[in-house]
Amino acid sequence: MAEVLSALSKKLVSGHYGPAGDAGIRLSGRRLRGLWQLAGWANFETAAASALEALGLSTIGTFQSAQATQIACAWRIAPDKLLVESAHDLGAFNSQDLAVLNLSHAREAIILSGPAARDLLSQLIAIDVSPAAFRRGAFLQTGIHHVGVLIHCVEETDFEILVPTTWAESGWEVLLENALPFGLEVHSNA
Amino acid sequence: MIRINCPVCGLRNETEFTYGADATVNRPALDEQETGPWLDYVFNRDNPRGWHKEYWHHVQGCRQWLVLERNTLTHEIRGCRLAREAGE
Ligand SMILES: [Zn+2]
Repeated sequence: MAEVLSALSKKLVSGHYGPAGDAGIRLSGRRLRGLWQLAGWANFETAAASALEALGLSTIGTFQSAQATQIACAWRIAPDKLLVESAHDLGAFNSQDLAVLNLSHAREAIILSGPAARDLLSQLIAIDVSPAAFRRGAFLQTGIHHVGVLIHCVEETDFEILVPTTWAESGWEVLLENALPFGLEVHSNA
Repeated sequence: MIRINCPVCGLRNETEFTYGADATVNRPALDEQETGPWLDYVFNRDNPRGWHKEYWHHVQGCRQWLVLERNTLTHEIRGCRLAREAGE
């Protein structure tokens, strides 16, 4: 299979941007280990059971919280859909009752962190992202600049934003423009 | 402004959704021979002042189709279900 290249390779230019001093925001990228969508119908949980077991997951999870194991991170994005980041090839679990789709080339991960990361998010989405409302391990599906994204709160001030690859550059630009007033550090390697 | 309580995503701003269609319309039986019911099904819609059932799509969210009960006069919303469950 073709090598997965970063759509952000031209954008990830290390440096300090905006006002001098301590940066409120840090932006970088991360190569996904592999991204899969598992989708099914009414019997989704049963149909997905063997794939879940192979990933070390005991349930399909909730719509609010990501599930992380040694080899995977899973987001329950709809009643009968699971998005899974894993280096394992899940194609073998494709069946009559489970549609497995390789999205590894279709999403780019932007890493947003820093003491002002939540301030930046609250400028871009109309959702409460205060520490009490958007906790570590939680995720949101929403739109940034009219592009559908998934935002995962990895740590108190660390977020990963999954952006469609074809919109990764413009998503990055929106984040960068809005981050500048806080002082911004870009790291080419996470 | 309308805020919609998506069963998957929780309470969200209207800007994440798009209106789909009137959710009160039922397709006639496929062996229906009269033209009247087909005319109503394809073209004729009520435009009520007050409560109405509507399909909305959470396009910038979970991408699920929803059925809302919306008051066309006040924009109040009193119910929101996944369309897949609304017929149950
Ligand atoms: Zn939703």
